[in-house]
Amino acid sequence: MNYMPGTASLIEDIDMGIKLRTFHFRGRHSATELNPRPEKHLVLLRDGRTLIGFLRSIDQFANLVLHQTVERIHVGKKYGDIPRGIFVVRGENVVLLGEIDLEKESDTPLQQVSIEEILEEQRVEQQTKLEAEKLKVQALKDRGLSIPRADTLDEY
Amino acid sequence: MATLSRKNSNSQAPAFPNTSSPARHFGPQQPLLDSSLFCNSLPSWPSRLSSSAKKTWFQQPDPYANLMTRKEKDWVTKVLMAQLQSKNPHLEDYYYQKYYEKLEKKADEEKHGQRNRVQSPKLVTPYVQKAEAYESVVRIEGSLGQVAVSTCFSPRRAIDAVSHGTQEQDPAAASSQKLRVLCKIERMFLPLLEIEEGQKDGLPQPCPFGQQDNQVEKLFQALKAQEQNNLEEIADSFLQVLSVRKGKTLVARPLPFLLPDQAVSLLLVITQHLPLLIRRDVTDQALHMLFKPLGKYISHLTFHKLLQGLQGLLLLPPGSSENQVTVVLQNQFGISLLYALLSHGEQLVSLDSSLKEPNRDRTAWTDMVVLVAREIARMPTASLAEPLAFPSNLLPLFCCLMDKQLVQQLEAKMEVV
Repeated sequence: MNYMPGTASLIEDIDMGIKLRTFHFRGRHSATELNPRPEKHLVLLRDGRTLIGFLRSIDQFANLVLHQTVERIHVGKKYGDIPRGIFVVRGENVVLLGEIDLEKESDTPLQQVSIEEILEEQRVEQQTKLEAEKLKVQALKDRGLSIPRADTLDEY
Repeated sequence: MATLSRKNSNSQAPAFPNTSSPARHFGPQQPLLDSSLFCNSLPSWPSRLSSSAKKTWFQQPDPYANLMTRKEKDWVTKVLMAQLQSKNPHLEDYYYQKYYEKLEKKADEEKHGQRNRVQSPKLVTPYVQKAEAYESVVRIEGSLGQVAVSTCFSPRRAIDAVSHGTQEQDPAAASSQKLRVLCKIERMFLPLLEIEEGQKDGLPQPCPFGQQDNQVEKLFQALKAQEQNNLEEIADSFLQVLSVRKGKTLVARPLPFLLPDQAVSLLLVITQHLPLLIRRDVTDQALHMLFKPLGKYISHLTFHKLLQGLQGLLLLPPGSSENQVTVVLQNQFGISLLYALLSHGEQLVSLDSSLKEPNRDRTAWTDMVVLVAREIARMPTASLAEPLAFPSNLLPLFCCLMDKQLVQQLEAKMEVV
């Protein structure tokens, strides 16, 4: 079987990693005897959070068990990682899931900052957004229109 | 053992923050360690990594590997594959099947003639016996205002339910009649779809072909409603079916599958009641879809039958003031069918020498043609509908039966069309 449906395609990812790298170690036969390295995955959740961790287990609903998970917050060109530990994610909340290419991970133009800084940046961003929203709503109200509130709509 | 070695190793090695203390405070130090885990150790690999670091990284056994056993993985795969299997992939997985066929065709073309063409990968689902699913909830119909389901937990309520909905006993009210016709059409569509499926799936082998014939026969019987012995009633129900747009598609689609005799009889009925059908088609404008399939069977008509059909069409029934021919000529389907029939008749006449002798049939035919020709000449060009297909032997036909003036008029009319 070459194509696997749904979460079955992730099965290979869970305990793999070594097979992709053996070619760098031609002659190092010892590599294959060791435990293979799992692959790091990036998960985007429905509420907008980005989680990065090692995928350890899945089931048919795409419920995921992520190990050594880090929540990555992006604001502009900066990002910050908050370590979270083990995550069990319910399948219905997953938007997308992808494997991280470890070699390319260092080539990002993004700048990593500390947690406090990124949280501060995020707060500032939320605030500016809120204010812009408020202005917009006010302007519409002046013209007699109204936008339905976000919490009465379906999320995302 | 592994844990010890890890604790003593350099900062390059991955650290597992969770192992020692669960209530660890994730202060500013922690992220650095973690980021080293994720960012620094691995990017400097493979080429820039020093050999010692490589060794430590590689020889770090991952204690969390194989949390998911082989058995569990296979189980998940099995569950997902079992969901995908289907008895009729062409129906349930149409797009993937078509895509795969396209791929195979392309591969065939590219490696035309080569023996070892690359087999494109295909999703193959393992056959898993589906457990017989029982209905755990029984729904009761027609229980207005009462509990309508009977489950394992509340079976008794079913007894209190109202008995099955009584049959509608409306005498032929217009709306219910239309509903009845529509229901009949729906029921006939299913066997039609089955026949088309069977046809599409490939060359018919002897065994299923017999079965297919059977199905076609059944469909035809349903169309003609042969239970009723009265000829009038048969035509009536068939016409009712044809009066609805869906009914027209229902008749048009199986025409290629029917036996010639059956199709011819349908064709005759349609021809005889053409004005009525045209009148009823005013809103739908869907008669034209019948033209092509019917056209194929016109050539199967014998002269006598053709004459019968045309007579039924063109001779005025008592009490109707409107000229049938006019109505037919004004409608696109009508005019096309009429032209096709006349053309076929002309072919038959020219081919069959016995018909050249003056006999009753021949005179009737001549009268018919004259009638049509006069009508065409009389009508203003604007109201003549544009035929879907214009047979070439019509004008010569009219030529030999009419006088010159009339022919010229006709020529002018028909050329415009």
